[in-house]
Amino acid sequence: MPDSFQTFFNYAVIVYSGLLITSYLSMIIAAYRQHKRHNTYHYEKNMIAQLRTSPYTPGVSIVAPAYNEEKTIIDNVNSLLSLDYPDYEVVIVNDGSKDDTLKLLIENFQLVEVPYAYVEKIKTKPVKRIYKTSSDNPIFKRLTVVDKENGGTKADASNAGVNIVSNKYFVCTDVDCIIDKYALYRVVWPTMTGTRKVIAVSASMRMSNGCDVRNGQMVQPRPPHSLIPLFQDLEYARSYLVGKQALSSINAMQNVSGGFGFFDTEIVIKAGGYDGDSFAEDMDMVARMIRYMCDSGEDYRIVQIPEICCWTEGPNTVKVLARQRTRWGRGLLQFFIVHRDMVFNRTYRQYGIVTLPYILIFEMLAPVIEFTGYFSLLYLIVTSGVNYKTVWITFFALYCFAQMLTMTIISFDIYTGNGFKKRSKYLWFMLASLLEPFLYHPLNVFYALRGYVKHIFGAQMVWGNMTRKGFQPTPGAAPAGAADAGESAAEGPEIVTMPDEGPEETEEN
Amino acid sequence: MEYYTLDGLEYWKYYIMLLYYRFGEMPPIIRIIALFTTACIITFLLLVLGNFIKSQKAARRIHRIQVYDEKYKKKIIELATMEEILDLPTITDELGIPKNFRMKNRTTGCMIPILITVQRTHKEEINRTNWQRVLQAFKIPSYFEMMMRSRNTAKRVKALKNIADMDADLKEAVASRHLFAKDEKMRMNARFHVARFGTSYPFKALEEDSNLLFTDEMMVNFHNILVYRNQNNMSMPNFIRWCNRTPVNEELRIFAVNEIRLFKRYDDCPELLSMLKDCRDERFAIALIKALGELEYIPAESEFRHRYAMASFAERQALADALGVMNSGNPEVVNYLIYDYEGSTDFVSKMKALRVLHNYGRRGRDAYNKLKAEATPATKILFEHIECNLLDSSKYA
Repeated sequence: MPDSFQTFFNYAVIVYSGLLITSYLSMIIAAYRQHKRHNTYHYEKNMIAQLRTSPYTPGVSIVAPAYNEEKTIIDNVNSLLSLDYPDYEVVIVNDGSKDDTLKLLIENFQLVEVPYAYVEKIKTKPVKRIYKTSSDNPIFKRLTVVDKENGGTKADASNAGVNIVSNKYFVCTDVDCIIDKYALYRVVWPTMTGTRKVIAVSASMRMSNGCDVRNGQMVQPRPPHSLIPLFQDLEYARSYLVGKQALSSINAMQNVSGGFGFFDTEIVIKAGGYDGDSFAEDMDMVARMIRYMCDSGEDYRIVQIPEICCWTEGPNTVKVLARQRTRWGRGLLQFFIVHRDMVFNRTYRQYGIVTLPYILIFEMLAPVIEFTGYFSLLYLIVTSGVNYKTVWITFFALYCFAQMLTMTIISFDIYTGNGFKKRSKYLWFMLASLLEPFLYHPLNVFYALRGYVKHIFGAQMVWGNMTRKGFQPTPGAAPAGAADAGESAAEGPEIVTMPDEGPEETEEN
Repeated sequence: MEYYTLDGLEYWKYYIMLLYYRFGEMPPIIRIIALFTTACIITFLLLVLGNFIKSQKAARRIHRIQVYDEKYKKKIIELATMEEILDLPTITDELGIPKNFRMKNRTTGCMIPILITVQRTHKEEINRTNWQRVLQAFKIPSYFEMMMRSRNTAKRVKALKNIADMDADLKEAVASRHLFAKDEKMRMNARFHVARFGTSYPFKALEEDSNLLFTDEMMVNFHNILVYRNQNNMSMPNFIRWCNRTPVNEELRIFAVNEIRLFKRYDDCPELLSMLKDCRDERFAIALIKALGELEYIPAESEFRHRYAMASFAERQALADALGVMNSGNPEVVNYLIYDYEGSTDFVSKMKALRVLHNYGRRGRDAYNKLKAEATPATKILFEHIECNLLDSSKYA
């Protein structure tokens, strides 16, 4: 390797790292300002009391696609039906499940096929049947089940759900997610507080692995006790409490998570719904909504709220993580190929000028630069060109910065009131933070690169089929009753603990 | 060689000098990194300390609230829900608060969540006079007055929110000087307070603010305030004057029309109809149509049919809905709905017209059956959808 190249690379990396650290620090400041404003002026109980009785509270639909979810579907639908909100409906889209998902739904919720005048506003695989409950239980009346042919992607199933929602806004979630009882109030509120049109709201998400759940509601959030979900929990906290919160403060949100995202139905339909061919369908959806708003000259806002509204099961094994991160890597590259015209484009306002260049330089290129760095270090070790003193000082500085960042996130978590009830639980986060640079981060770099390579060489698209572990009863807790599902949704005493082992993923074309 | 021990300030001076000279020998990049590392470590330690202190404070506060909860809550509920009106000294004695007792601000701050919980959970049973005296016994009004004199806007906003939450009948004067405050949140909450408790001119700010940005949050709050005033027999605003407000604020006008509908102000219908005749704004027209429909103002029917030709998609749906709610049995309306069904090209409008016809008395049902008999395979599903009682066709979109 020529010396001139090595010198150039060294300086480039120093500048790159400096810019990255500066961006992190700016984001911390921006996020802190957001949290402070939110904490000072947001009175949740007052807000809920106002919305609960008001005729002006907008209706919300929840769209949850389900594919081979027989182990958890009943608990999860009960959880969705037991939310606190005056006007909402739940649309479960059975995406051609091969197991007993649909059968269980029909039996438990007394569903019958109805002659629904279905209009395909967004193109999807054919819808076979639509079901509603024949029960007199008013909670069940909120449920609609759409049975469709398998479209191979979550996007296709979500689009079928969007086609039948009857409310102004909808929440798109995964059927295995545990949604907070007051989540709908929280996501609706930002649409009511400003004069600019809010087209999407993103809420914080965390891992449900290891948490205590009662009747489908989170009772005791706890950090996962196995390493990969724990790393992911820390990663989510960092992303939602700092990254997204900061970008939201300048209306430059890059993504509204597919796990729990709140959208304006009309804008989603006008933007063409989710793209079934995309590996990053949630990010792509947001980009197309912004494209639609900016091209038609309309003002818009996308908001991130700090409250945790959703807990999701995270992958536990390296194999599942590998598949997930490879897909994300592919999705990111694919996203930039599809939406390349938006990067550095002033038409798309902050999104085009700030967000996309930031993601391109500091997220998409980061694995490439990091990998080149490892390679370069290896070369220098072999050629005895390493100044070990400098290496250790630099490494120690970055390591300290990472720990400081984690402590900032813990502080934000406590400040926003999201925190674990027992502060000692944060020791798990600190442990994860100490180990992350050695165990988790290199894996992510490798899988992201693998995703890029796969996309460049056009490897066949493979979607993982998550096999859920389901809820497992806490030792000593009452066993699951055979009572009517509606009753159990309303007031059962059973506490279950989400398994620390996350879902297993099996390959499926 | 002579040795001597450095102590106190001398030791630290030596240590810092040593660091400085060793530091100065290093290359610039290492110096920057070393400074950066030091800053990270210091920030880390400060954050740990801050989190520890915050957690301790929070734990102490929770403990204090629990203590007061056990001591006072039952008694407060008992006194506040008593039908018999009690005087302040009796309530003070019953609560066991000594005469001339002055609560610390910290103590009053801990009482507030307890009082808000009582107000929320026993809202319907509370005797308002006794409740206000309970608050007086705990010196809550003077605490809030003190909070309102604070220079910190956040504290003032918090005080106003708490006043509303616990229905503490404070004079409107505490907030009236903030009606046109620079800070948006302060201004808005002051307006809510004056609108809720004001007696002389409670909606002054709404009517006089020419740059008013009327958000949905304000709609929700003002509606709840109006419900509160209505329940407590306090004076209500003249909504029609808001509709005719100059300079025009569309949001406020729409809100006023909606409130006429929600408070069933039948007397305002002729005025609303005359507004509809001159209306060109789609959203305002929809609000007027909805209000006239729900108030079942039959003379508006002919205007509804007249507007159809020029109406937008959303307005046509509102017209069909309003005619359905009126359900006057007018044969001309039936013809209009048939025309609407046949003229519409989309399922949503067709469904709306059919649903109204289906529920529109005998004449409507006959027309519906006739259309059903003529239905094509593509439109047959609409009739099945409407007839299926498991589906709520009014929510079809």
